[in-house]
Amino acid sequence: MISGMDRLVAAAKGETSDRVPVFCNLIDQGAKELGMTIEEYYSNGEYVAEAQLRMREKYGYDNLWGLFYVGKEAELMGCGKIIFATDGPPNVGQMILKSYDDIDRLVVPQDISSHPAFQEPLKCLNILKKEAGGKYPVCAYVTASMTLPAILMGMEKWMELLLTGPAAVRDELLEKCSDFFKKEITAYRNAGADVIIYANAFGSTDFVPMRMFQELSLPWMERDLKPVGTDGVVYYCGGARMNAVLGQVIERLGLGTYYLSPFDDIAEGKKIIGGRGLTCGVINDIRLIDWSKEEIRSEVKRMMDAGKPGRKFLFGTLVMPYVIPEENIRAMLEAAYEFGGLGGDDK
Amino acid sequence: MKEIIAAYNEAIFDANRDRALKIIREAVDNGVAPEDIVFKVVVPALEVMMKGVSETRNVSLAQHFLAAQIAAEVTEDMVARFRKAPAVAGSVVIGTSQGDFHGLGKKIISGCLKALMIEVIDLGLNVPPERFVDEAVAHGAQVIAISSMMVHTALGENGCLKVRQILKQRGLEDKIKVIVGGAPYRHDPNLYKVVRADAWAEDAITAGKVIAGLIKGVRK
Ligand code: B12
Repeated sequence: MISGMDRLVAAAKGETSDRVPVFCNLIDQGAKELGMTIEEYYSNGEYVAEAQLRMREKYGYDNLWGLFYVGKEAELMGCGKIIFATDGPPNVGQMILKSYDDIDRLVVPQDISSHPAFQEPLKCLNILKKEAGGKYPVCAYVTASMTLPAILMGMEKWMELLLTGPAAVRDELLEKCSDFFKKEITAYRNAGADVIIYANAFGSTDFVPMRMFQELSLPWMERDLKPVGTDGVVYYCGGARMNAVLGQVIERLGLGTYYLSPFDDIAEGKKIIGGRGLTCGVINDIRLIDWSKEEIRSEVKRMMDAGKPGRKFLFGTLVMPYVIPEENIRAMLEAAYEFGGLGGDDK
Repeated sequence: MKEIIAAYNEAIFDANRDRALKIIREAVDNGVAPEDIVFKVVVPALEVMMKGVSETRNVSLAQHFLAAQIAAEVTEDMVARFRKAPAVAGSVVIGTSQGDFHGLGKKIISGCLKALMIEVIDLGLNVPPERFVDEAVAHGAQVIAISSMMVHTALGENGCLKVRQILKQRGLEDKIKVIVGGAPYRHDPNLYKVVRADAWAEDAITAGKVIAGLIKGVRK
């Protein structure tokens, strides 16, 4: 039996397997699977692990998630207020940085692995590794130094500091966020995560002008990643586009996998990457809410046709909205398994 | 005037706030009318910027954000110097939907609206549906603008759908129009119909135009 890990490894090497690997990011859906509220679901790492394993089994895709919600990172940095919804992801409900002085006072936890807010995710990762380690890649989500301030002070305040604030304050914050990043990625790796989604909306020129990308985003990404290495790290701009910066990111950072935006041209992205890494074509999963089966099929086919030639291709979703009907999830996956088939002759 | 426009546009494009403000200050010192600064320099510059976003999509959100902020700042300053108080086009209450703490979109939209002489009442983040309606009534606003960055806060029962229901119950649908925006609507341009909004807009300058249209419609 070919496993998700076999498929992923084959794709990364440009070798053949039965089909293109499929990453389907069902996160909050685990609560529905276990018949719980979302708040109850995230209170225990055993629940999350169990639902992750069940959903993968039920649908047959290739990855598992150790992510609870991105707001966890704010909790690790001292945020005490998370707002739980009944039908969507939890959100940070309180910004821990209200003034520049707060930046000065911000303390990065010494050790993430022993932090109280990390214990449930750790429990979850341990179970996933025990049950599926080596067979299905276990994914973790870690926010880059340039983007983390968005959930510590809010996007508006961060943009303001970045664009018009004092450079020394900005750099002090980035330094702390980069320190946190390195500790967090290490904790996830120690817990057994195989794939690290390196999330950086500010690594896209949809967010910052090219010059700022080159003068600030790139150097800070280098500072995040150089000391900890790029093993298993996936470049992801939160769904924002990356084709315009791919060449520079590959040259400077040399990451192995690029998780495009639904609005990036897949064939163009693959061409720029040019065999230097794995390209992930990403579906606009918000449309799965109301697309018909036929529309879903033809979109998946279009994406596979664009990405499959030359192999080194992965099919993925963003953060799948909670309201997508189960039958549409199945329609997408069935189409991905069918059109992602790697016959012996399509080299 | 041409040089002022070109220099200002470039400063905005470079996301250089200090340079943009300096150009305006010098123009005023050289006797350019405050009215001309707003209507011939600031507003057209916003349009050029946003056009870049939708046509080639190579203008970043950072530039967008600064352009709107500077526009609001300069407009406020200039309006105080207008010879005749400008006619306010109308009023809008704006906020993020309940459960949504993403405030950047709202801020950009508000900046653009202010430059277009539309009064903005900012209700902040995480706004319950009843409050949108109550505040719109209290301020005599013609438009409720709701920003949502996530699917569940856009489609959920305490978002736009509820605002629509309350407007209907109170018989206010002819007096107050609803516009929505944010990431989910950009990913699916049909979504605004699902939440029964009157309109949506994909960026701030389009929002300004659409809102101006809605206000006109109500006032007729
Ligand atoms: C940056 C970003 C992040 C950052 C910062 C978020 C923050 N502010 O806190 C980080 C990495 C931390 C993050 C985290 C999460 N994110 Co996020 N994120 C994004 C991203 C890339 C941009 C969002 C943003 O801030 N945009 C800024 C606004 C201003 O830009 P804009 O939408 O282009 O705005 C224009 C228009 O929309 C319009 N407009 C905006 N508002 C309005 C209002 C009106 C009335 C009108 C007319 C127009 C209008 O005008 C604006 C200016 O031109 C989007 C994807 C994307 N490409 O959009 C995902 C996205 C919003 N995130 C998403 C999700 C799910 C999350 C999380 C909930 C994930 C999780 N499970 O934990 C967390 C929540 C974190 C929290 N707050 O607790 C999803 C939401 C969809 C969904 N599945 O529900 C998105 C769409 C990505 C995706 N497709 O999966 N995220």
